[in-house]
Amino acid sequence: MPENNPQPPTVSAAEPPAPSPLMAAVLARLGTLVVEHHADYGDDRIHVARENIAEVCRALRDTPELAFDMCLDVTAVDYFGNPDGFRAPERIWDENRGEWRIRPVSRHYVIPPPRGPEPRFAVVYHLLSTRHLHRLRIKTRVPEDDPTIATVSDIWPAANWLERETWDLYGIRFTGHPDLRRIYLNDEFVGHPLRKDYAKEHEQPLEEYMGPGAKEPRRPLS
Amino acid sequence: MLGGGLDPALNAPPMRLQFGPSHPATHGTVRIVLDLDGEQIINADVQVGYLHRGFEKECESGFYYQNIPYTDRLNYSSPILCNTAYCMAVEKLLGIKTPERCDYIRVIGCELSRMADHMLCLGSSAMELAAFTPFLYLLEARELVLDHIDAMCGARVTTNAVRIGGVYSDLPEGFREFSRVKLDRALELVEDAHKILTDNIVFRRRMEGTGYLSPEDLIAYGVTGPMLRAGGIALDLRRTQPYLVYPQLDFDVPVGEHSDNFDRYLVRMEEIRQSRRIIAQCLERIPTGPVNVDDPRCRWPGKNQVFGRMEELIDQFKLVTEGGLFPPGEVYFALESANGEIGFYLVSDGTGKPYKCRVRSPSFSNMSPLGHALKGRQLADVVPTFGMTNMIGGECDR
Amino acid sequence: MAARVVKVARPQPMTRRWTPLLVGLGVAIAHFFRNLLGFARGRQDFTVYFPEQRFVQPPAMRGMPVLVQMPNGKERCVACGLCEFACPTNCITIFPAETASEVERYPEVFDIDMSRCMFCGLCEEACPEEAIVMSRQVEIACYSRRGSLWHKQDLLVPEAELKPRLDYLRPQYARK
Repeated sequence: MPENNPQPPTVSAAEPPAPSPLMAAVLARLGTLVVEHHADYGDDRIHVARENIAEVCRALRDTPELAFDMCLDVTAVDYFGNPDGFRAPERIWDENRGEWRIRPVSRHYVIPPPRGPEPRFAVVYHLLSTRHLHRLRIKTRVPEDDPTIATVSDIWPAANWLERETWDLYGIRFTGHPDLRRIYLNDEFVGHPLRKDYAKEHEQPLEEYMGPGAKEPRRPLS
Repeated sequence: MLGGGLDPALNAPPMRLQFGPSHPATHGTVRIVLDLDGEQIINADVQVGYLHRGFEKECESGFYYQNIPYTDRLNYSSPILCNTAYCMAVEKLLGIKTPERCDYIRVIGCELSRMADHMLCLGSSAMELAAFTPFLYLLEARELVLDHIDAMCGARVTTNAVRIGGVYSDLPEGFREFSRVKLDRALELVEDAHKILTDNIVFRRRMEGTGYLSPEDLIAYGVTGPMLRAGGIALDLRRTQPYLVYPQLDFDVPVGEHSDNFDRYLVRMEEIRQSRRIIAQCLERIPTGPVNVDDPRCRWPGKNQVFGRMEELIDQFKLVTEGGLFPPGEVYFALESANGEIGFYLVSDGTGKPYKCRVRSPSFSNMSPLGHALKGRQLADVVPTFGMTNMIGGECDR
Repeated sequence: MAARVVKVARPQPMTRRWTPLLVGLGVAIAHFFRNLLGFARGRQDFTVYFPEQRFVQPPAMRGMPVLVQMPNGKERCVACGLCEFACPTNCITIFPAETASEVERYPEVFDIDMSRCMFCGLCEEACPEEAIVMSRQVEIACYSRRGSLWHKQDLLVPEAELKPRLDYLRPQYARK
């Protein structure tokens, strides 16, 4: 049934389609702050530089016709330096057959893709406007050797916990965050488990039991 | 500053009380560190993470179809909603339109799950406020709702009911009559609980005016679901960004105006009744036809074809061992779960496994303003406020 | 045909203190007599006295996975390994071997670690031979971890006993 299976939208169209009304408004407001914009699968998304994230978020919240007053989600993706979108399938050279083959699938294990030249992580923000009911995704690249980005928790308090979670699981530091502690894992945890080079089977050393009250690991700093 | 300074008159710091992780009055594993001045809360630090299981890490190493059972364990009191959200996110990546009968079955499953979740939330919150009788009524009603889910997919809690491009099973024969009898009885029990609770002076004194969050705070903290609607903001994804067959259905979106715990209770109570209406309409209008999309990229071939023909057998082997064919890209799909917007952000690299599978869980965002809501309130307000936040540990901590 | 926004009706502020309590008491008493009557009638209402009485399971019910035993005493499984692949928790272990009969392959070892199995039913859905199905058996508690490892001989169930499930499955997984 062909009507049941429409083809997925192609990402590399010869002529970029006209931006949606929301995207036009965003581009008109932000101008050159937007590095690139896409509308894959109907989700509007913009890419901005890391230095401009606080400025962009503040503009998106405070402009009346955009009014992104709710921050739904802050997370990160460990792209290993690859361009997001994975335009080309990952291929490896098969020595036995002497041909390029698609990267094999290994069940229950993650084979990270080869490292690319771009900054390693992408921090992703999902925004919603409760007034106009439109959504936007912001992506920012963060390099591995300096995984810091400005916080947006002063713009949306919702980002407070979400940034703590991103720090916990990906190790991206949010500068200016009021209370950047680990939120899920214990304070003695070594590494950041959602990074692709942290194996699923990796085990943490057992902590010695210090006795009740000897140590309050998750006590907030006053 | 949590911890506070010394009170100059008493020469003593404020009392620090550890509420949780396994407090009998919290239905969830969470720790709240409270600084108390007498009965008044000076500061509350909410610490989640006691049920962190690495859901997202686990999803990255499994095929798309293997992650569906894990989504049951996100919100274990309304699992079909999580199943549906995940499968619809993957369908958005594939660009699939599911058959209409499948959409109706999903809506029925979603609304049954929503009823079960609200019943559990209201019942256990009432029990934590020492009202044990309505807890038993609501749990009995929940059992009757779970009977439907049991008949639909063969399991009561760990449903695994939805598939990418379809559902696990068609509705059983005679489901409409079965549902009419059982849901009527369940709604009777809910009304009984309503009669006991809603006018009860003890219950109302503990619920009214406590846990107040202003509408601006609700939006700024990213709160969704009944908590947001109790603040007077009619943001329900079933209405504002309709999915499945919700645009064809007739139902009310209840909103409150006081934004306190009692309004959250009333909104949930009303949503149970509206879910009953939606299910009745769906069972009336459900069309006949296939429940699975015929798409060789993701949906497994039928067993009658696999037993008989070579191509389908090869297809089955390829789909199971390679996971399917998924285009590279990234999608975000959200739907209205019992606690708010549950969204899945999937990043695909073109293989059969998600490169990243992120859950935007409503419980996590609803929990983040809890400390703010408790500040300056009484210690006794912790229990009803936490109960009406309805944190589900599996979903909050993932 | 659309969703409307309605304000929830908040009951009047509490002026009468005792009437609501009496209403609640009346509801509880009604339930008491209903339960008492149900008890006199053999308690058909809700409670199932479990070991003596049994639940009425729907046909869709998923219990532990078992292997189908053909009438000649052999398993139907041909050790293709698809269930092993489909299992999200990696709880199935298969060592295939060859045989002289017409199916050519059989599992020499077929172990399911029931402490890891989560009864999701993906093995049943993946099986191309209808050889592993979800039975109605759920009482599989044991005293040791070793006891939760079920071997092939423990898992084999005659085809006649699994007939209800097989009859349910065939239309279930069929496509036109």
